[in-house]
Amino acid sequence: MNKVYILGGAQTDFQRNWTKEGKNVIALLRENIFDALNNIGLSKKDIIELNKKNKIAFFVGNFIGENYIDQGHLGALLTVVDSCFYGIPSARYEAACASSSVAIDAACSKIRDNTYDVAIVIGWELMKTVDSKIGGGFLGKAAYFEKEGKGIEFPFPKLFAKLADETIKKYNLDEGRYLTNLSRIAYINYSNAKRNRFAQTRNWYIDEIQVNNRKNKTNPIIGGKLALTDCSQVTDGATTVVLCSENYKKNNVKEEKPIIKGFGHRVAPMILEEKFKESEHNEYILPWTRQACIDAYFRANLSVDDIDVFETHDCFTSSEYVAISCFGITKPGKEFEAIEKGIINFDGKKPINPSGGLIGCGHPVGASGARMLLDLYKQVTNTAGEYQIQNAKNGMMLNIGGSATTNYVFIVGKED
Amino acid sequence: MEIKTVSILGANGIMGKNIAGIFASFGKAKVYLLTRSIEKSEVAIDQAVESVRSESIRNKMIPKTYDDIEECIKESDLVFESLSEDIELKKQIYKKIKPYLKSNSVIATGTSGLSIKELSKEFDSLSKNFFGIHMFNPPYVLTLCELITHSQKQDALAKELENYLHIKLNRTVVRTKDTPAFLGNRIGFFVISRAIQLAKENYEQGGIDYIDTILGSFTGRSMAPLVTADFVGLDVTKSIIDYIKENTNDDYNKIFKLPDYINCLISDGNMGKKSGKGLYFKDNDKKQLFVYDIKNKEYRLKINYQFYFSNEMIKEIKNGNYETAIKILIDDDSYEAVLCKKMLLEYIAYSLTITIQVSSNIEACDDAMATGFSWLPPIAMIDWLGGIDNVIKLAKKYLSNEYISILENKKIIEKLPHKSKYDYRPFLKAKY
Repeated sequence: MNKVYILGGAQTDFQRNWTKEGKNVIALLRENIFDALNNIGLSKKDIIELNKKNKIAFFVGNFIGENYIDQGHLGALLTVVDSCFYGIPSARYEAACASSSVAIDAACSKIRDNTYDVAIVIGWELMKTVDSKIGGGFLGKAAYFEKEGKGIEFPFPKLFAKLADETIKKYNLDEGRYLTNLSRIAYINYSNAKRNRFAQTRNWYIDEIQVNNRKNKTNPIIGGKLALTDCSQVTDGATTVVLCSENYKKNNVKEEKPIIKGFGHRVAPMILEEKFKESEHNEYILPWTRQACIDAYFRANLSVDDIDVFETHDCFTSSEYVAISCFGITKPGKEFEAIEKGIINFDGKKPINPSGGLIGCGHPVGASGARMLLDLYKQVTNTAGEYQIQNAKNGMMLNIGGSATTNYVFIVGKED
Repeated sequence: MEIKTVSILGANGIMGKNIAGIFASFGKAKVYLLTRSIEKSEVAIDQAVESVRSESIRNKMIPKTYDDIEECIKESDLVFESLSEDIELKKQIYKKIKPYLKSNSVIATGTSGLSIKELSKEFDSLSKNFFGIHMFNPPYVLTLCELITHSQKQDALAKELENYLHIKLNRTVVRTKDTPAFLGNRIGFFVISRAIQLAKENYEQGGIDYIDTILGSFTGRSMAPLVTADFVGLDVTKSIIDYIKENTNDDYNKIFKLPDYINCLISDGNMGKKSGKGLYFKDNDKKQLFVYDIKNKEYRLKINYQFYFSNEMIKEIKNGNYETAIKILIDDDSYEAVLCKKMLLEYIAYSLTITIQVSSNIEACDDAMATGFSWLPPIAMIDWLGGIDNVIKLAKKYLSNEYISILENKKIIEKLPHKSKYDYRPFLKAKY
């Protein structure tokens, strides 16, 4: 099969509030896309030339711009950004918070089958146009809305709090110890974010007492057992990643570039209770999330032993907890070992989310998959700056949509 | 440098309590908050917790009064004085703490501009441990921290303290000489003072709101200069500006002369946001914004001025067309656009000349203005204007000689980095 290379890209500063700056989605896209093109040295003229040969395309990941900014037709929207994009094939891909992973996957297909040489993947979301309650309602549409979202305040924290309850029940965990583990996950993410100059929370003060101290004024309960520090952020942001074909790489790029070695894409039953029912007799609480990881390992012909760095979908601490066994870092039900032994720490054997993840770096939902892929690119090309994991050769990401309904996994690594 | 215990003197002031929060959180220090009464200190602790949004630091802060000076100071590795800007008041408390200071304790004043050398005299042999540590309000959001020394004997300790402030307290540290208003306020209040003067000069056109519109958020700030003066307080604004006027003697001294209307407002008790009225006031019932009309000496409804150049710039910034936006300004020679250009160019020139005088690093002006005022910093402003050559060309067209000479000074220009470390884009807001 033809290889898919990652040439580079750019992430916006997730600290920014574009509504407060008075700017629209066009400003967001313009800054981000041209930052990415500058990063890889592609000019407007190059874009036009590639398009003359019909060898370039856009793949846009966005969850729910129709609600946040009253805008649809988000592939075509790029033509408003710059006239050099006229005529370029462009479409929007959606799978809730895994939207930009679907866009990446579609881009990979079109590169692998030699339709295009260059694929520009753009994930974005503007979420600060409304308050968090209204936004929480929009996000509820990633669940089966009629049953799990309608009329419920902050539906997603409640769903992932149920995942926490189910995890305790299924593996017969001590509740106090489990919550301490979740606090540790939060703390690691916030601490990692301090090294990342694009992270939303990089200047926040969060300590180990605060993440362990739920139910107070500055760390209130948001849903079930989960408090504010267990939740990812409401974020404005975009990430562009540029992929290319073997042919393009050979003829145009001298330096080493990593490739996408494998992927997994599995869709679990949308309704959370159905997930639990289905997994009753399975050792994994989220078997389809696990399966997506297995598929990616299989396609890459790698195992967990080969992975030096992980980026996971910590939309809540309870989702990072279960991801640990899905990756294969521990057996299911033994995730606490990896947390308590420091294995997932920044300087641990299997670091998770050196970027800070969705909790620390931020979670503009439609951008998160692309952001993870860009972070893996940075890690394996030794360009992650202060959050660089030493000698990272292969990295793996898990991006989920809904209550772990759409599960997307990619493995990125240096060529052998 | 290990700072385990900190005492804050004057902990009920806005800066005092916020800084207590910074030491208790990032610094992980035990912090004594000293005020005139336990009740005041307790309220200050509540507000410090709120300021860093973390209940976890509450137990690190202990309410105390000035009766507890002996106990607190004896234990403290760092004593932070945050009293009001009154040299005699400060010296009085220095006398009280002096007998109990540990020989290696750091002593700091949070003064926003008084002479550190003068204040240090109270400490005799311990004066080498005395520093100016000037933070900005609110310090959780604005990370600028000016570190001021008064003697070369402090160099080694200052280096340690700088590391502590930067690494442990998460501050953007700028080292400055012991000069009036240090760096951030010297530049910031140059702009504010100039805006105050321009409001007077242009009172026929409307004055205060007219000038703030010309220098609105689209020029790279979250708050227009005269709104900033209200936010800081007109009394504080006046004291800083007067202090610079009295203690400097350069070509730009005349900028720091305040027109009468400021004194009138202050003597009427209209100090700005804290007293409800200042240059502006908000009618909370009707949610209407009023502004002081310099011509008629009374408040009137704020006018929503619309200028062609600024409307067009805002449209472009909204869409992320920053280069087009600045081109509109450069090409527009309406009275308002020229005023706007002059102010931005004077800001650049003044920033550069002051920075090389008070700091060893020219890029300090960018740290100061970006992280102390949230203004588009001067070197990033040069980037937006298309580079220093463009700036010089524009300066020759619009500025007087005392500013042109700065920009033609090779010693200054040579020091400029190729590009600011700050991206100008987030500073430019698509609004007034």
